[in-house]
Amino acid sequence: MNVELIAYGAFFLTMALTYAIMCLGLNVQWGQTGLFNVGIAGFVAIGAYVSALLTTPDAAGRFGGFGLPIVAGWLGAALAAGLVAFLIGALTIRLRADYLAIATFGVAVAVQLCALNLEPVTGGPFGIGFIPRPFASLAGDPLAFSLANLGVLVLVVLALYLALERLLRSPWGRVLRAIREDETAALALGKSATRFRLQAFAIGGAILGLAGAAQAHFIGFIAPDNYMPMLTFQVWAMLIVGGSGNNRGAILGAILVWGIWAGSAGAIASLFPPGEQARAASLQIVMIGVGLCAILLLRPRGILGEVRTVSRHIGRLAGKPVSEP
Amino acid sequence: MNPQALMDGLVTGSMIGLGAIGVTLTYSILRFANFAHGEFLAWGAYIALAVSGALGWLAPSLLAPIGPFSFGWSLPIAAIAAITLTGGLALLVDAMLFGRLRAKRSTVIIMVMASFGAALTLRSLLEFIFTAKPAYYTKALQIALPLGGGLRATPDQLLSLGLAAILVVAIHVLLTRTAIGRSMRAVSENQQLASVVGVDVRKVIRTVWLLGAGLAAVAGIMAGLLVQVRPYMGLDLLLPLFAAAILGGIGSVPGAMLAGLIVGLTEAFAVQFVGAEWRAAIAFVILVAVLLFRPQGIFGRPE
Amino acid sequence: MTLSDRPIALSTKKLVAGYERDLPIVRGVDFAIRQGELVVVLGPNGAGKSTFVKAIAGLVPVHSGTASLGDADITSVPAHEKIRHGLAFVPQTENIFATLSIHENLLLAANVLPKERRQQRIAALYGMFPDLAVRPSLRAGQLSGGQRQMLAVARALVVEPSVLILDEPSAGLSPKIVAEVFSTLKVINKTGVTIVLVEQNVKAALAIADRAVILVEGLLRHEGPAATLADDPIVAELYLGARHVPKAAGQ
Repeated sequence: MNVELIAYGAFFLTMALTYAIMCLGLNVQWGQTGLFNVGIAGFVAIGAYVSALLTTPDAAGRFGGFGLPIVAGWLGAALAAGLVAFLIGALTIRLRADYLAIATFGVAVAVQLCALNLEPVTGGPFGIGFIPRPFASLAGDPLAFSLANLGVLVLVVLALYLALERLLRSPWGRVLRAIREDETAALALGKSATRFRLQAFAIGGAILGLAGAAQAHFIGFIAPDNYMPMLTFQVWAMLIVGGSGNNRGAILGAILVWGIWAGSAGAIASLFPPGEQARAASLQIVMIGVGLCAILLLRPRGILGEVRTVSRHIGRLAGKPVSEP
Repeated sequence: MNPQALMDGLVTGSMIGLGAIGVTLTYSILRFANFAHGEFLAWGAYIALAVSGALGWLAPSLLAPIGPFSFGWSLPIAAIAAITLTGGLALLVDAMLFGRLRAKRSTVIIMVMASFGAALTLRSLLEFIFTAKPAYYTKALQIALPLGGGLRATPDQLLSLGLAAILVVAIHVLLTRTAIGRSMRAVSENQQLASVVGVDVRKVIRTVWLLGAGLAAVAGIMAGLLVQVRPYMGLDLLLPLFAAAILGGIGSVPGAMLAGLIVGLTEAFAVQFVGAEWRAAIAFVILVAVLLFRPQGIFGRPE
Repeated sequence: MTLSDRPIALSTKKLVAGYERDLPIVRGVDFAIRQGELVVVLGPNGAGKSTFVKAIAGLVPVHSGTASLGDADITSVPAHEKIRHGLAFVPQTENIFATLSIHENLLLAANVLPKERRQQRIAALYGMFPDLAVRPSLRAGQLSGGQRQMLAVARALVVEPSVLILDEPSAGLSPKIVAEVFSTLKVINKTGVTIVLVEQNVKAALAIADRAVILVEGLLRHEGPAATLADDPIVAELYLGARHVPKAAGQ
């Protein structure tokens, strides 16, 4: 029994950590650069599908199946997502914050549509299966398998965290901070704010793609339904709860919100008879939606977040909304 | 090329246009993209469904189709209730959420995030109450009447088009010839100055919510009547709504309707070439094109 | 009745105000202006002149102290109701609605009046500002700088305010237009409207003012009759950093 519990715990934590990677990526775009990406699901999907196509064995009637090693898949995923992020960013980064939001929202819709309709490439609504799992040789032993996978994710998250913290303190990171806090001053220094923002957006996008790949390989199969607006919302909720602008907050938020999400799903499902599970799922989402609105009202800086000197400046850059007269 | 696409495009376009008018008004006066606007559409449709159903149960004669239309008196009566209640819903969401965030001088991004959360809550609440199964106002089938030139339209469709046209004109007159309309345009341009001049900005904000949500409810009922009622109907229309509002130029009511028609017609004609499953991508392409080439839209002014 | 016998039209007592709670820009100002006076508020950049009048108008939060119109305390009256009490404010930039027509700008202002008086007041203002009557349906954004300023003042006068506050009406205008604007203000003042004028253009402002006060770093440092203030060395020191040498005898 204990073994099952540990295996389940490891599974749970591994999933949470894939979300943590997403939060770290979003944090580069939002927390460090102030860019409002409402199309997270799209970038994650790109990473997942690219990695799947690169690493799965050949499948009839479908493009891809190069059977490359997992590492190659993950790298490809990050590159592809980063590239798309760069292109989208180049198109939209000069826009005001809410236009960027709408544009990225559109990207996610478009990506999901492609995943659904381009059956010869993506497998259509059925998705792609048989994605190789790390340490597949251990599959027979659930405990060792889940712990090994957890180990991989822990290493990835740790490496990413350290790399990002390093990046923040680097000259590049300092310029980004300067741009975030006072654009006119940064411009006066001769730095092209757009170029830096674009780089940050691409890096964030690449990390999102990596997360998608990690998830895909952990679960073993992907389908377009995995990448709905709900995913975007989940990651934002995690970042806000944990404290945006803060890498530790990103990781904490992912684990915490994932815990609440999974936990409440189970709790609420148990209140409803088997035939009404769809209703239970929608009720859970209602509560999550209310919860997020409550956080935004009561403690928008989240648990570990910085005091909102950042957002006041971002508000000025992006255009203030109507304030209460 | 199927000329029927023209009618389909006009009908869909007028629905998108009505919703886009609401988006453009709230966007220009409240200054943030309200991702929950699509849910006012859905709630309008569902409230009308519930009230119409209740009325039909109380007095079955109300279900009998009026003239050539597919619905009985239960629907127009229910529509009035739906418009009023959806407006009330918008005021409630503003009082509990957006208004409080405004009072704390929250940034645009917090407002949009909150609207995302509100959208999710509202949509899932509908799903919880009504389940995801598509619903319909009426089981009566409609025959499409020939209009000439290969075009056919059902009486319901013609009614929707006519109603949309009347509403656009009415809103335009409201904005250009009434005191409240002037106040709305003033607040949209410069909220502080409007205060100084004596405009009660809070009252204007309330009016905009009522108006925007009311229009969304009408659009939702139309969509429900002509297609079907589902919890995701609002979300599915959100991207076309935003695309139309931005294409028309934020703040322009005629622009929003015109752009709505453009989006509707483009979708209708494009799916003839690329297939219906790509419908949702059309609005995205239009949006990107607008943002690339003319971000201020048709009737907007360059910033 | 001489000026000093007239009742106080507008006053502030220990007014503390600023955008942020912990950073007051106006740091305790006692100010008073009598009915029919034209007082100029001078001071170096950043002194808080704009913030001071905006606080009276209700656009900047007041932390403590009071602002009163006559005997009535209007400190916490909402911004959009100040005009109903007779206080009209003309901000410095963006003081007209560019997307509305001239006529609509005036209609908007007239909305707070009872229905019967609206048309009459608007007609009166077209009479006072004939330039505006030429093409009243013109979008206000297409007016020149000077015409915009006239429209802004006309808009403020629609309600026949008892007190008119203007924030740097000369900003961005050529000297010729400034002279026109200021002579118009003097005429308005002569009809009995009390005017508070925040200005950087010291010379032109003092030429039409009765009195002037000088704000430095959020506090009222000096005041006196306009006629003598121009040559007062304290003014030069406080305001102009002693760069300006007042005309001394024999020069």
